Amino acid sequence: MPTRYERLPAGEVLLSLRSIRKAFGATVAVRDASFEVRAGEVHALMGENGSGKSTLVKILSGVHAPDRGTISVRGTSHAAFRSPKEALAAGVATVFQEVLATPNRSVLDNLWLGADGVFRISRSQRERRRLAEEVLAELLESPPSLDTLVGDLDLSDRQACAIARAVLRQPSLLVLDEATSALDFDTRNRLFAMIRRQVAAGAGVILITHRMDEVREIADRVTVLRTGETVDTLSGEDWTTAELVRLMTGQASLVGDAPEQELARREPGQVVLRTRQLRLGADRAPIDFALRAGEIVGLAGLEGQGQDAFLRSLWGLGGASGTVERVEGERAIPVPSKYAARRAGIAYVPRERRAESIFEWMSILDNFTPPTLTRDRRGGLLSSRAALTRFSDYIGRLRIKLGRPADGIGTLSGGNQQKVIIARWLAADPAILLLNDPTRGIDIGAKRDLYALLGELAERGLAVVMLSTEVDEHLELMDRVLVFRDEEVSAEFSHAELSRETLVASFFGAEEVAR
Amino acid sequence: MSVQAPAAGPMRAARPARPADSWLRRALRKHTYLFALALTVALLAINLAIQPNFGWTAQLASFAPLAVAAVASAPSIISGRGGIDMSIGPVMTLSAIVFAGYLAPAGLGGGIALPILMLLGGAIGAVNGLVIIWLRLTPIVVTLAMYFIVIGVNLKLAPTPVRLDDANWATSLAGNLGPVPGPLISLAIPVAIWALLGLTAFRRNLYAVGGNDATAFTAGVNVSAVRVIAFTLGGMFAGVAGLVLVALVRTADSSTSSSYTLIAIAAVALGGTSLAGGGGGITGALLGAASIFLVQSVLADAQMPQTWLPAVYGGLLIIAVVIGALVSGDRVRRTS
Repeated sequence: MPTRYERLPAGEVLLSLRSIRKAFGATVAVRDASFEVRAGEVHALMGENGSGKSTLVKILSGVHAPDRGTISVRGTSHAAFRSPKEALAAGVATVFQEVLATPNRSVLDNLWLGADGVFRISRSQRERRRLAEEVLAELLESPPSLDTLVGDLDLSDRQACAIARAVLRQPSLLVLDEATSALDFDTRNRLFAMIRRQVAAGAGVILITHRMDEVREIADRVTVLRTGETVDTLSGEDWTTAELVRLMTGQASLVGDAPEQELARREPGQVVLRTRQLRLGADRAPIDFALRAGEIVGLAGLEGQGQDAFLRSLWGLGGASGTVERVEGERAIPVPSKYAARRAGIAYVPRERRAESIFEWMSILDNFTPPTLTRDRRGGLLSSRAALTRFSDYIGRLRIKLGRPADGIGTLSGGNQQKVIIARWLAADPAILLLNDPTRGIDIGAKRDLYALLGELAERGLAVVMLSTEVDEHLELMDRVLVFRDEEVSAEFSHAELSRETLVASFFGAEEVAR
Repeated sequence: MSVQAPAAGPMRAARPARPADSWLRRALRKHTYLFALALTVALLAINLAIQPNFGWTAQLASFAPLAVAAVASAPSIISGRGGIDMSIGPVMTLSAIVFAGYLAPAGLGGGIALPILMLLGGAIGAVNGLVIIWLRLTPIVVTLAMYFIVIGVNLKLAPTPVRLDDANWATSLAGNLGPVPGPLISLAIPVAIWALLGLTAFRRNLYAVGGNDATAFTAGVNVSAVRVIAFTLGGMFAGVAGLVLVALVRTADSSTSSSYTLIAIAAVALGGTSLAGGGGGITGALLGAASIFLVQSVLADAQMPQTWLPAVYGGLLIIAVVIGALVSGDRVRRTS
């Protein structure tokens, strides 16, 4: 294939990031990131959830502009790429984590998407077809016809199309953000062969993957990110898995400076909920899970490894095969829907506070009442006084800091909003509480309050399943942690077995270090 | 813009390919206008059967305003994000008023009027598009505001209906231009422009933006420019539609400002174009308009009361949309 850029000699600096910082509101996603990618190398970027990998990729691809720092490509400095178009023009092509395609257009149109101007056509139709066929033939054993609609392809082929689209732009730097996760085995091997060929021709590749074996197989150097900072860059010869894990976890606690007080451990009671042969994907290993009264179970793993789908299926939200049963003494009641879940005393606090939980224009009190509204009936009419009385009880217990209950929910901080949502579901007297990353984006004080509350509730027999993206939360709060990888439970740890290293190593499938 | 997908369900699992669909489903998915085509053919056959002396030119002339209005509604709808242009009807009437009341009396009533009216409509469409992308407002709100503004302008410009001088060339658009039926010329203008755009990258970009704007954006498409041009194009076609309308009825009447907007959108939807964007095209819009026109003609010939006409349109639209939904089957998740 002809190249658009004159290749740099191997070893020359192709991309250099200097002191990149990016904050979204009060949340600092990337604090200080600097690293270099040389021509002719595969450079892996590793880090836990929230370490800033995805934000960095979006800065490199022109989706986000950094607040500070410089990006230089082939010696030309940019304060920022203002759009993906600019990044592509500078020779940086990205394959994003989510498989992006326009489903009702043909494979050919998808592969050349964005290569033209608004009106100007960059290549003849014949050349487009020829080059597209070449790249697809290299990536796929049996490539689909170029005229097939992308929506008719399976996920692996759709992802291959997204990769082919980036490769067709002949980038001098190719960024692959978890681009292998949806690929079948054969296509992944073909992709690696293609990467090796591109690299041999002088291109640079940035690889982000949750699989340690892939890093071992193809990466020349590895840069480790931790809480938004680049910690170190290691060369292929001198890194060990243990060392990588140590760099990713670091010493500092993510939760903050508060002393790690040991929460009292409880004796778990009866089984209250169990799954039988629950499969999150067609050919995935089944999950048989039993939850006991009074225990707090954590769901861990890198983002998107199936823990979210698992938690939702406990709430009766389909999508997985197998059964979920609520166990009450001798009786087992199936939970086929979220309505059944509610009747069975299962409460779920969703992940996206704004989109899934709060009614943004309504008052704090009105945000509290929905599932329990009918209890405030007095002679057929709702009594706001009764609702207020019920709510005041939770204000004290959850230490919700608010002006008046009639104020808008928007007047509260994120942490206090989350407490109101948790109060909403606690008021429904659940036996089982499912929490989907409830502490994301809330301050340390509010986290501590929540941990204390959960401990207290578990003491009284509530069973809690909590998905968390923060390692420290698992270490501190959970009685037991299930680690998800590739839509399977890849490891399980009791509280006593947990350490930062074991947990993070298990995220990357490096259990040998863990034990 | 964020390319982050919403908190995903089990999206990573390798999904088996769609089970082999019947050729009919495949064909319907690729050519979404097939239902409207079948409907048009059937209705035309019925029409010809009960009305042996079907006046082709006269019928085409009555059909042309709705057809061009439907074509005008299509580009913004294809561009996605609910890109419904409510101002198409009033802009048509504005174009008719400007032609009959201003251009023709001022000696600009010749062929030069066509580009002038297209510029006028295009400018209004461009304003719609720019407001939508700059202020990030919902298209239906912006174009609804424009709908009322243009109706107001129409009332000001033509408080009473303006008659078009019978000697004007434009009336031949509803008759014959030499040996060629005039209405064919009116229809050919937007079709030719659309075809020419097919030779550029624009139409590919338009469908990509409508299909998934996050994908188009990250792939380097200038999404904003494509959206603005889609609305501009719709406005230009509405300018043509106004000329076609005044050629037929020979008066420009501000009280008809709102008559075409909704029926044109219905024609686009009936023609198989998803109002979610990214699919369909002007073939569907033309066939949808033809179906609506022919239904009305059949009902009139069959001495059916015209009062039922809107209900029949509604029924047809539901059938078309249901067929569309059934055909597309398990729709691929849209990231937005």
